[in-house]
Amino acid sequence: MKLKVCGMKYQDNIESIAGLKPDYLGFIFYEKTPRHFNTKIPEISDNIKKTGVFVNAEMGTIVEKVNEFKLDAVQLHGEESPYFCSILRSTSLLSRPIEIIKVFSVKEGFNFEVLEPYENVCDFYLFDTKGKLPGGNGYTFDWSLLNDYPSTKPFFLSGGIGIDQIEAIKAFQKSEASKYCYAIDVNSKFETEPGLKNSSILREFINKLHNKKTMNYNVDDKGYYGEFGGAYIPEMLYPNVEELRQNYLKVMAEPEFQKEFDQLLKDYVGRPSPLYFAKRLSEKYNTKIYLKREDLNHTGAHKINNTIGQILMAKRLGKTRIIAETGAGQHGVATATVCALMGMECIVYMGEIDIARQAPNVARMKMLGAKVVPALSGSRTLKDATNEAIRDWINNPVNTHYIIGSAIGPHPYPDMVTRFQAVISEEIKWQLREQEGRENPDYVVACIGGGSNAAGTYYHYLHEPDVGIIAVEAAGLGIDSGESAATSVLGKEGIIHGCKTLLMQTKDGQITEPYSISAGLDYPGVGPMHAHLSKTGRAEFLSITDSDAMEAGLELSKLEGIIPAIETSHAFAIFKHKTFKPDDVVVMSLSGRGDKDLQNYIDYFKI
Amino acid sequence: MNRINQKLKEDKKLLSIYFTAGYPEINDTVSIIQDLEKNGVDMIEIGLPFSDPLADGPTIQDSSTAALKNGMTTEVLFKQLEGIRETVSIPLIIMGYFNPMFQYGIEAFCKKCQELGIDGLIIPDLPVDVYHEKYQSIFEKYGLINVFLITPQTSDERIRYIDSISNGFIYMVSSASTTGAKSGFGEEQTAYFERIGNMNLNNPQVIGFGISNNETFTQATKYAKGAIIGSAFVKHVTKHGIKTIDSFTKSILN
Ligand SMILES: Cc1ncc(COP(=O)(O)O)c(C=O)c1O
Repeated sequence: MKLKVCGMKYQDNIESIAGLKPDYLGFIFYEKTPRHFNTKIPEISDNIKKTGVFVNAEMGTIVEKVNEFKLDAVQLHGEESPYFCSILRSTSLLSRPIEIIKVFSVKEGFNFEVLEPYENVCDFYLFDTKGKLPGGNGYTFDWSLLNDYPSTKPFFLSGGIGIDQIEAIKAFQKSEASKYCYAIDVNSKFETEPGLKNSSILREFINKLHNKKTMNYNVDDKGYYGEFGGAYIPEMLYPNVEELRQNYLKVMAEPEFQKEFDQLLKDYVGRPSPLYFAKRLSEKYNTKIYLKREDLNHTGAHKINNTIGQILMAKRLGKTRIIAETGAGQHGVATATVCALMGMECIVYMGEIDIARQAPNVARMKMLGAKVVPALSGSRTLKDATNEAIRDWINNPVNTHYIIGSAIGPHPYPDMVTRFQAVISEEIKWQLREQEGRENPDYVVACIGGGSNAAGTYYHYLHEPDVGIIAVEAAGLGIDSGESAATSVLGKEGIIHGCKTLLMQTKDGQITEPYSISAGLDYPGVGPMHAHLSKTGRAEFLSITDSDAMEAGLELSKLEGIIPAIETSHAFAIFKHKTFKPDDVVVMSLSGRGDKDLQNYIDYFKI
Repeated sequence: MNRINQKLKEDKKLLSIYFTAGYPEINDTVSIIQDLEKNGVDMIEIGLPFSDPLADGPTIQDSSTAALKNGMTTEVLFKQLEGIRETVSIPLIIMGYFNPMFQYGIEAFCKKCQELGIDGLIIPDLPVDVYHEKYQSIFEKYGLINVFLITPQTSDERIRYIDSISNGFIYMVSSASTTGAKSGFGEEQTAYFERIGNMNLNNPQVIGFGISNNETFTQATKYAKGAIIGSAFVKHVTKHGIKTIDSFTKSILN
């Protein structure tokens, strides 16, 4: 049975729902509904039929919309006559052939004789629940009425279908009444708000419908990735986090927001970042290696994708003061940068040890007008800087937004940060299509601190089983050395910074102080999405020692003329440990440049 | 009846004291509890130290770090509390962050608390809905009262929800802050105290955060059933040791 998802409204949402490969997507051209479609349809697969939904519209309007939006089907929801349908079907004004779907609202006592005059002038019927509104009443009708269906014309079954009806649909599919049922049409039951579809619930529905047992790697509506995630926060933080949770998807779906975000990414950050075929590195390791050049972004790392998104979010929420934590200083710089750009007050918490080992970034933050506050507690690194930022937020609950720098923290942060970073894999897709003729590489590889560059690099590939996902953690001096940050190996389920995830801790539940030469990977947890990817085996986790990482950084410098951040160097060390096939396409997230680490490289190699 | 509920029925304003277990010295726990009771304290929060106490300011952070260095763990604390009910009869509450309890196992933790005569728990980072969904039945099975926090930012609707799930008292955080950050109450606080007082909640309220002396104790208990002192007490033992608890409680209760 085919699937139609109706009532699409927002560009991002259209793209993500199109990713689920429904057979039809519906756009409602009827002003009296909150799902009224009034923007552009983004590029989506030709296999999805774009369907315009009309209620007693003029012929001219329908023709105009078909031509403008390249619609493949027209669904008529009003009292359009058989004659109207026949004219629409044959008019030469249409630039393309269309399918006509005529809607009938059904309730007890429905007389199927009304279909007869339409038998030869439309392609499908659609049966909806009869209620107050012309469609979208939100409840199902009694499908057994279709036992009396007199026709052989294929039809769409519609009206209030949600995930709760899965069993009923399956029963229906087995019944005689479904003999000519061609497709299921869904809408309101999969919405976060009118026009905004929840892709994870819809995915679950599709999988159940097709009896597929595939895993969902996105966040669910309660804020969990499998068993990980959630919002384990003190009550003092609840109003802030809840405000964000209620608004983030809505705000991100606003065309104005998207326009501003895209514009800044393009003109200010310098996106799209190149996807560069690394010829000499590829030769050396006898495979095809592409580098996603996040190091070429303004401020030198992927972090700015997220800070641009979050500063726009903060503005929409009426916040005037920004706080952030930073490890390597890249996120601190990226935050200080966007605060300068927007004229907002900026306070960055940074561990005392990191302040010492990332001095250039401290200077940059100060120059950008931010106040850098040393975190003096605990291990005086990223974990403690995050604690301090959270405490600041508790003390300043009204005017402050906390820009978390990785895919960590309480829901909705991991998901929000992931969505802002998802631009990375969105670009990889079309860039790889241009260069390799295919969107999917064989592997995507990224280093993981909290996991934001990784989340962005994986995002559009999470549900593409032919794309291997490799996550690279910092092993520090070695997994068993007691000086490590390899969470997937050393961590256990626990709670850190407001989410349930894999966490390095003592038997007693005290969080362990991690170690890595790279400040940005020196974190005792991973984002909940990555914990889920690790636990389910969707991603392969590799741990890389300080020395392997440093060597790999030097090698990339010599072979490709690119000095990477030490965080990033970890990802490049995998070639020493893992062999790829000659025709494998391996896309590496080159998350940041090495300027900030120059002194560390100099000291390490005695350059 | 749970000792907390019994205590709340008494016709007086309650003084509750928080201290960090294992601080200043690892084995001070029992003698601090006994001394507090002897000196007229009505209820005690025993702080189970955590490496990353998000809701706490420097005083309690430092005492927690020191306690952990001293070797305090969940096991050690439970060991120390064995037999505590032979000498102490006021309500005892364990206050700590969720992760150490989660690692111990929530059911095992609650069971142990019941065995030892612990009456309730305060877990700032265990959200109400997770508690309600997953753990409430376990807490109830072992006769434990879970105490939730509200703050000046908590909406009325949410306060009512929290009230409906509580079965002891509501911990009213006096202002938006970490522990020990502020001292004294301004108009904003008193307006908030009044607002909550007028809501006629089912559960009595006990005010915490920002109470450090007789003046703030009196102010807070004008509006609430009791008040909790944490940082000020921890500071006192840091400075004067644990032999002068009487002088501290006297200064509060006058
Ligand atoms: C260049 C670079 N790569 C990676 C990271 C790790 O963070 P995440 O795992 O969130 O991408 C950092 C963090 O500071 C960084 O600066």
